[in-house]
Amino acid sequence: MNCPICGGEHLPAGGRRGRTTSSGGGTCPYKGEAYIGLRAGHDQIYFGRWRRMDATSIDLRRACRQLERLLHEISAALETEDIPAARSDLGKAFEALQTADPGEEGPEALRYMDHALSYAHRVIGDLLHEKGLPPHAPGDFAEWYDAGEVPFREDW
Amino acid sequence: MIPLERYPKEITLRDDSKVVLRPMIPGDADGLWNFLQQLPEIDKSHFHEDVDRREVVERWAKKLDYETALPILAIRNDRIVGTATLYRNKTGWKQRVGIVRILIAPDQRHLGLGTAMIREIRHLGEKVALNYLLAEVIEEQQAAVRALERMGFEKMVVYRNFVNDRRGHLHNLVVLLHRMSGLEKEMFY
Repeated sequence: MNCPICGGEHLPAGGRRGRTTSSGGGTCPYKGEAYIGLRAGHDQIYFGRWRRMDATSIDLRRACRQLERLLHEISAALETEDIPAARSDLGKAFEALQTADPGEEGPEALRYMDHALSYAHRVIGDLLHEKGLPPHAPGDFAEWYDAGEVPFREDW
Repeated sequence: MIPLERYPKEITLRDDSKVVLRPMIPGDADGLWNFLQQLPEIDKSHFHEDVDRREVVERWAKKLDYETALPILAIRNDRIVGTATLYRNKTGWKQRVGIVRILIAPDQRHLGLGTAMIREIRHLGEKVALNYLLAEVIEEQQAAVRALERMGFEKMVVYRNFVNDRRGHLHNLVVLLHRMSGLEKEMFY
């Protein structure tokens, strides 16, 4: 998956480098992060046009394809990990995506897409937790996207 | 046997600080006592015993039995800053239901430690083939409720004015359930 920020091909594999985010001009904010491809892929969808009021059916179909690709990349990353709960959540993400049906444009499709993306986010969090890292927070990367507002984030 | 080879496990919190997770051992009595004394009254209310009595905490530390209660401690610079305990029944109709109890030191909240502890307990629950995890939280602890929900726990019921704190004030109790992945493969007759 090409990075939505720098256009480069980020590998989905995990690492232990932790965050070294730089907001310098032209620098990819994901550089140095673990599971860089999964994070960037998630955020591309999270901040995507399909969630806007003026989204078209093309935006929705594109988001569906991106989400399917992301779930397959997560699946590949999970192959070497022993996290049964994450496997279960990934299954639910695929199921939700299938139910979303990109041909439909109604609120149900959007809701199922949201569910699939939420499950994907949880699985990425599980992968990061296994590496001892905090969960991925899309809000940390919002400034790099044309994002109107970022949902309130609360940790416990 | 509950698999514990993943411990000690170091995790990084949102503020880039490091915390080590590991099961409690008898030598943790003093640390646990200090931790419990920092907790607000409401957090102490659910214990079946008076945690303001040192001998209670010392007895817990001496009589550890991971098969019935597995306390995972979060330790930051030699100080206990959180606990997550998985309670299980060895026999009976609830032997596949684990009860979760998570406590976080007030000055260590909102850093993602609670969420990380939920992930740990969920992982352990999967490894011992539980069907469900059950969490009971006072409704005022909204951050905990939301964190549990984000991790797949479902709010099943809210009992109004159901539990009392140590001063006798009543509180609403939220019961949340997490369906474990193994349950989907179970056969029902």
